[in-house]
Amino acid sequence: MSTVMKTTRDVKGVGLSIPRPDGPEKVTGQVQYVADIQPRGLLHAKLLRSPHAHAKIKRIDTTRAKALRGVRAVLTAADMPYLKKKAPTRAHAVLAIDRVVFAGQPVAAVAADEVAIAEEALDLIDVEYEVLEAAVDPLEAMKPGAPPVAEAGTEADTSEAQAHGSVSGVAAVAKPAKAVNISQQSKLARGDVAKGLAESDVVIEKTYRVPMVHQGYLEPHAVLAQWDTTGQLTLWASTQGSFNTRSEVADVLEIAENRIKVIPVECGGGFGGKIRALCEPVTAELARVTGRPVRYVMTRREELVAGMPAPQVIITLKTGVKRDGTLMAIDGEMIIESGAFSGAVLAVGGVFLASLYKWPAFEVRGFEVLTHKPSIAAYRAPVAPHTIYAIDSHMDQIADALGQDPVAFRLRHLQREGDPMANNQPWASNGGVEVLERIAAHPAWKKREEWKKSAPAGKLRGTGLSLGGWLGGLQPTSATVRLNPDGTLSVLTGQVDIAGTNIALAQIAASAYGMDIDKVKITTGDTDVAPMTGLSAGSKTVYTVGTAVLQAAQDARRQTLEIAAKELEAAVQDLEIEDGKVVVKGVPDKGVTIASIGKKGNLYMSKVQPVLGVANPAFTQQAPAFAAQLARLELDADTGEVTLHEFVVVQDVGKAINPLACEGQMQGGAVQSLGFALTEGLMYDDKGRLTNPSLLDYRKLTAADLPNIECIIVEKPSPAGPFGARGVGEPPIVPAPAAIANAIEDAAGIRLTELPMTPEKIALAIAAR
Amino acid sequence: MAKQVLSFTVNGEPVEALVQPYMTLLDALREDLGLTGPKEGCGTGDCGACSVHLDGKLVASCLVLAHQARGRSVTTIEGLARGKTLTPVQDAFVRRGVAQCGFCIPGVLMSAAALLAENPKPSEEDIRYAIAGNLCRCTGYTKMIEAISEAAGAKG
Amino acid sequence: MHRFDLVTPGSIDDCLRALKGRGPDVKVLAGGTDLIAQLKVGMLKVATVVDLSGVADLRVLEGDAQRGFRIGAAVTARTLERDAKLRAALPSLSESGALVGSIQIRNLATLGGNICNAAPSADMAPPLVALDAEAVIAGAAGRRKVPMASFFKGVRQTVLAPDELLVEFVVPATGPRSGGAYLRHTPRRELDIAVVGVASQVSLKDGVCAKARIALAAVAPIPVRATAAERALEGQPLTPQAIARAADLALEAAKPISDQRGSAEYRRHLVRVLTRRTLTIALERATA
Repeated sequence: MSTVMKTTRDVKGVGLSIPRPDGPEKVTGQVQYVADIQPRGLLHAKLLRSPHAHAKIKRIDTTRAKALRGVRAVLTAADMPYLKKKAPTRAHAVLAIDRVVFAGQPVAAVAADEVAIAEEALDLIDVEYEVLEAAVDPLEAMKPGAPPVAEAGTEADTSEAQAHGSVSGVAAVAKPAKAVNISQQSKLARGDVAKGLAESDVVIEKTYRVPMVHQGYLEPHAVLAQWDTTGQLTLWASTQGSFNTRSEVADVLEIAENRIKVIPVECGGGFGGKIRALCEPVTAELARVTGRPVRYVMTRREELVAGMPAPQVIITLKTGVKRDGTLMAIDGEMIIESGAFSGAVLAVGGVFLASLYKWPAFEVRGFEVLTHKPSIAAYRAPVAPHTIYAIDSHMDQIADALGQDPVAFRLRHLQREGDPMANNQPWASNGGVEVLERIAAHPAWKKREEWKKSAPAGKLRGTGLSLGGWLGGLQPTSATVRLNPDGTLSVLTGQVDIAGTNIALAQIAASAYGMDIDKVKITTGDTDVAPMTGLSAGSKTVYTVGTAVLQAAQDARRQTLEIAAKELEAAVQDLEIEDGKVVVKGVPDKGVTIASIGKKGNLYMSKVQPVLGVANPAFTQQAPAFAAQLARLELDADTGEVTLHEFVVVQDVGKAINPLACEGQMQGGAVQSLGFALTEGLMYDDKGRLTNPSLLDYRKLTAADLPNIECIIVEKPSPAGPFGARGVGEPPIVPAPAAIANAIEDAAGIRLTELPMTPEKIALAIAAR
Repeated sequence: MAKQVLSFTVNGEPVEALVQPYMTLLDALREDLGLTGPKEGCGTGDCGACSVHLDGKLVASCLVLAHQARGRSVTTIEGLARGKTLTPVQDAFVRRGVAQCGFCIPGVLMSAAALLAENPKPSEEDIRYAIAGNLCRCTGYTKMIEAISEAAGAKG
Repeated sequence: MHRFDLVTPGSIDDCLRALKGRGPDVKVLAGGTDLIAQLKVGMLKVATVVDLSGVADLRVLEGDAQRGFRIGAAVTARTLERDAKLRAALPSLSESGALVGSIQIRNLATLGGNICNAAPSADMAPPLVALDAEAVIAGAAGRRKVPMASFFKGVRQTVLAPDELLVEFVVPATGPRSGGAYLRHTPRRELDIAVVGVASQVSLKDGVCAKARIALAAVAPIPVRATAAERALEGQPLTPQAIARAADLALEAAKPISDQRGSAEYRRHLVRVLTRRTLTIALERATA
């Protein structure tokens, strides 16, 4: 890498804040999302969804719906014989067979000429249910005798954990036979916890609760499916990973992967919620039976009722420390409620709880519990916000109980590179210490006492901070870099660009090849043409796909230099690329243009090979990335309303390939983190029905609720990332809940252990002081 | 329930369309007129992605029936720029790399345009409230607010 | 949304003709921010929608502080928010308009729609009740006036007969040395629904409170007046102690439930806080 940088002169590439090239299309409404595509003969799909969380389906009669003019197909599970009763994943449970296991589960599907007609048809489908007792509360669902959720014998789904590639070496624990809804169990332990707690001077035990939340992407799930006469299926999908979508749909529909082409249309946000297939299989089936293009766009209500939210997580921590601040032991129990299908990432939580700080003795037990609610999926750094909320709330309370400075206390105990994580793997190089030190130097932290004292009558002011992060995701991937006859570069991957990663990849290609960024074009190809590419998830696009692009560009550069070496009769190592030319070092007049090399690769009767850089790396080395966040806030002591005056994000990005894009990630992630902290939560009644199925009552923060988010980028290069880059997307969603909880305690002397920390909880806790 | 003729002005051009009585303005713009810039993020007025100007006023087009626009003037994101020249706010959005997924952006820009038409020198607070009806999940709003502030300043 | 027919009357009389013999599957459309949203999520299903957007008479807005106001049922929340005369003379009503939804909602949502939707949390209801406003209702037999304090009959139920149309509101002059305010609590600053809303209106004479009106939203099936609190204030100087006592008494009128927007306990807490705050602002405005 460094040799590349040395040989290139003033390259416009890595490190520059270049706005994404599709900006003009995005600000003029020209970018097309799935719902914007309207082929001739388009039909519209709608799903009939169960009103009950748990019920037997005794009878479905679609006669009246089929008779409605304009209805082209009505499907139930009986029409899809390949569906399996023991559906291993939500995607496989296309339509319910015999039994519904959450309110909102699809029971029948309709395709019609108009959306309105499809909706009317749903009303004409007669379903007779026998309502069964539902397991709604995960703590009750864990107990023997609770109503079972999964069909007996269904395997736990650990593919999410694999997709996030985060943690290995965590032992799975055999589940107790009678607790039918415990689908996964894990344990991380080292040392004698009981002894450690017994010898401690200060023991603190608290339970932290985080409800299910929705990823909140603005574009609801959408897919357009069309079959051609040869039996090829094309899916225009809003997905975070077109190859993943292809595999899942192929598996569910039992067709070969190369008969499916997934075109990744512009994705209006995913955040983990558009990794797994959801409505693609049923839409494809409707398109198959009607022989027409069929589009399905979920409503927002459907998204909230029957999307794939993040799990509810309940964490109980018991810690012991000596009076002098020595950490002794931590005992933790983490219950992850996954809804109706297994899929939780148990291991990440355990690692953060037990080994972010240096606990000499620990035991963390993890349980995945199934309930009669919509099944979960990833949400940006899955389970990390939950566990950091618990452990970093706890660390503040311990420091407070000992009368120690919260930053110094954390720094003293923070695990460093090489220290063993709870799964006995060493912590990789990371910037945890650096971001914590940097945020502690911020004026808003240094002047927290002044801020607290400045509160006007009826108000309370406080400051809090927290440290959180992500271990870094990995996935094999590939890329090609082509030299065009005019000397420009074309980069091809299958990478779905949601947040603006393509410009960063192009910057990497520009720097690695030695060409100005304005001569580099990057394309996201569909699954028929693009080389296999991983998910846009897990904070790994720049880290892994960036590496593939880097290597492919280096490969293209090497080929270019080899062709030039022959022409110039010089050794490759004596050549460099400067200003669109390959020149002999020290002899600037002696050179050939890159365009001429490109041209010869496409000339009739030419003997020069076309330059085609290819890379297909797999990865083993994660790059943990940390963010620290600081909140300076004011509380209305009567209503509990929170006013955020300042919010600061300090993040180690390794190397900011595109600082502008890094800031965008840090600001957006911070506001999602603040949503966890302050307003968001899916609320269910005792029958398992969602009581806030709209964006009025499921409250994402608005511009009026927030200050500008201040960003401070720290660069501690990762050993293996392209130009030292680390993942950027996930760390900023992690710390805010603990930072806000710590700031509220600073302001009002109350400790809130349940998210979201609403005005109601704040006001009632203040009133009860 | 037959389709009825709807005559109105869209982005400065007189338009006649045959539209179902139950069609929303958003659906008519998107499905009948091919103006897919306005988006449906919620369908119930709670996200702002469908924002357009109706007789110069910012409205959630998902809550307006198409026929309520008869004889009136509608401006969508497609009609904001003059030809290929972006408005100062659009230009600032591009240069400052505001858009990530981009789904909310058309609505946000319509809100910003409505604000600047009424209040050419808005404060940061004015801007925050002016776009508070537009949910964005990617950006945290900071770059939007900076871009709108900059464009307002650039207007002089 | 299911299919329906659309009727587009051009006058109030046209409208009444359209509503004649009206069944439950005929709905009147004003701003659409409640009706269309309810149709979209399937809460309501209709055969016919009567669109009021062509009826100019419903958008009347006239009057001043001395004479009182006539405010048409189709006047938008945004107009209430921004009309300078209204803001000066009826600040509580203007504030309630300013708090609804977001700008793109307030440009659509109407005063009459907010009232006829008759949600317990309707923001514009408490100010109208506290201002002793009357609803003007047109029907086949002519027009009648109903005081806002008796307009609501239950959750989403009003005194309107199926063939009647709410035309406008008459707000009497508040008189000199009168002030009002509306406050509500919501978890977000915009784009939200009241957990509790309180409107207060006070008139002063000879250093004491001559008349007090306090109306509460979202603590009962319909907007309610806190009459015990009002009585305790009338004839008394509006000292902080008197206001605090009234805030406690306002609780007697509140019969809140716990739901996804807030617990009964928090709602009671807010009634006290917001009554105190609105009375304090109303007093400031009355003495200004």
